[in-house]
Amino acid sequence: MENINNSIAVLVRKLNPITKLLIVFCLGIGCLIYPLPFVGYGVLCLLVILGILIGQGKQVLKLIVGFGIPVTLMLLFIQGLYSPNNKTMIADFGFAQMGLEGTMYALKISSTLLIFLAAFYLMLQTTKNSETVAALTQSGLNMKLGYLILASLNVVPQMQRKVKVIQEAQESRGVETSGSFIQRTKAFLPLIGPVVLSSLTDAQERGMTLETRGFGISGDKPTSYIKVETTGLDIVLRMIAICFLISSLLPRIL
Amino acid sequence: MTSTLIQVNHFSYRYNQETEVALKNVHFEVASGEFVAIIGANGSGKSTLCNALVGLIPNYFVGFSEGSIIVDEKDTAAVSVGELSQTIGLVFQNPFNQLSYTADTVAEELAFGLGNRGVPREQMFSKIKEIAELIQIDELLDKNPLELSGGQVQRVALASAIILEPKILVLDECTTQLDPIGSRQIMNIIKKLNENGITIVMVDHDMERVAKLADKVYVIQHGTIVLGGTPEEVFCSPHLAEFSVNPPDYYEITKKFIKPGYSERDFALTESQAISLLQEVILYEDRNQKPQA
Repeated sequence: MENINNSIAVLVRKLNPITKLLIVFCLGIGCLIYPLPFVGYGVLCLLVILGILIGQGKQVLKLIVGFGIPVTLMLLFIQGLYSPNNKTMIADFGFAQMGLEGTMYALKISSTLLIFLAAFYLMLQTTKNSETVAALTQSGLNMKLGYLILASLNVVPQMQRKVKVIQEAQESRGVETSGSFIQRTKAFLPLIGPVVLSSLTDAQERGMTLETRGFGISGDKPTSYIKVETTGLDIVLRMIAICFLISSLLPRIL
Repeated sequence: MTSTLIQVNHFSYRYNQETEVALKNVHFEVASGEFVAIIGANGSGKSTLCNALVGLIPNYFVGFSEGSIIVDEKDTAAVSVGELSQTIGLVFQNPFNQLSYTADTVAEELAFGLGNRGVPREQMFSKIKEIAELIQIDELLDKNPLELSGGQVQRVALASAIILEPKILVLDECTTQLDPIGSRQIMNIIKKLNENGITIVMVDHDMERVAKLADKVYVIQHGTIVLGGTPEEVFCSPHLAEFSVNPPDYYEITKKFIKPGYSERDFALTESQAISLLQEVILYEDRNQKPQA
């Protein structure tokens, strides 16, 4: 079983990032367009199964439960009870009535959000950021825009490292950075300023580095060290994703 | 015949929000294949000069400048830093500033500059392998550059500059994070690059090293070049101490032995000079003691 899981994980990792992006887009938009929310939850179940198969099940479930339940309850409360589109009442709570239209809408929105979230999470876990950008630039995306995307994706781990360094420096000077929630908040707030400011300085220095390493130099067509291939499986999956998107449009058109 | 590769013509520069000038009437030339060292106290303007040589000043930093810097017949103010990078490379003082922050592996990091130049992917592999072996980072190629130690990043930073094969390499204290052995290894590589024709401009605080490697030394103080010449001329200058620069330790130690009769020479700046001087001293002592015995 472990071997099968590993080979599925390898297969997913080897997919062209453009294919993965297209699948994320088609699943999310398709479920948003389809009139009923149940397709969305079906797709979400499939994403959880895929997550389990590639060894990311626990994390995907944590994401869905941690984000999905509060958001769904909030949407159900707002849309289900107070949507102006509510015509068919399905429950009476005394202080307000729950409408079918609003409830369905809330479920659709929450399922779409969760699909985007879970699908993006799986994509990021199975794709290197540099591969994604290489694939995008090889498909014609502007090199500078590609760098912008990649640098933005990499900024979070860099800031985390910086926070850790500053935190250690403060700890070594006697500042308590662990303990209760209030204590940690107290220690964390003064960190925000230095982290943000040093990140801005870093951005300036990075700009200098890029210039000295010939970034954006005119005349030469940039090349990439990372080779992104489009296999037969990529093409089949892209076609399935597009078919899914078109089929979700059909109930609206017909 | 050696041609002039860098001409700094009465160059002055002031940062935008500063009242004092960072560089004042700096004027010198660097010939092709020369090894030039820039020395001076902290805050004297060495890094600013490095940034000016590669065109970051005045192209990138906002400020006020006068005079000109001509690198390989190109005025640094008239061409982009990217264009200049084909001729002149810079290794930053902080090696982490050299990273592109877009690479997941050291190999990708090294390939970044090559990619910008449009070097075909197949050629990248051989170049990366060659440079990684030279700088001794071949074991790091698959590692994340952000997870390396300071010394390892310093090697990667140097490799990322050398891989672009610049005619001139500007090194701004490029061994600060390395241990003595690593530092010596890197300096041997730089020396070899210089012997192969690459012009080196190096900022350094290690005076022994400067005396050993440099053809010319410039002392900078408060943004002005106050002393220049061969290592012998600079380190034996009676004014050196006024500029907060000490000569190599060998100079101070061997000065004690230099008195009429011991040696023909006036000074020893490097390890090999000091050794041969001490040998002369021992021989002199032997010669003068044997008859008495």
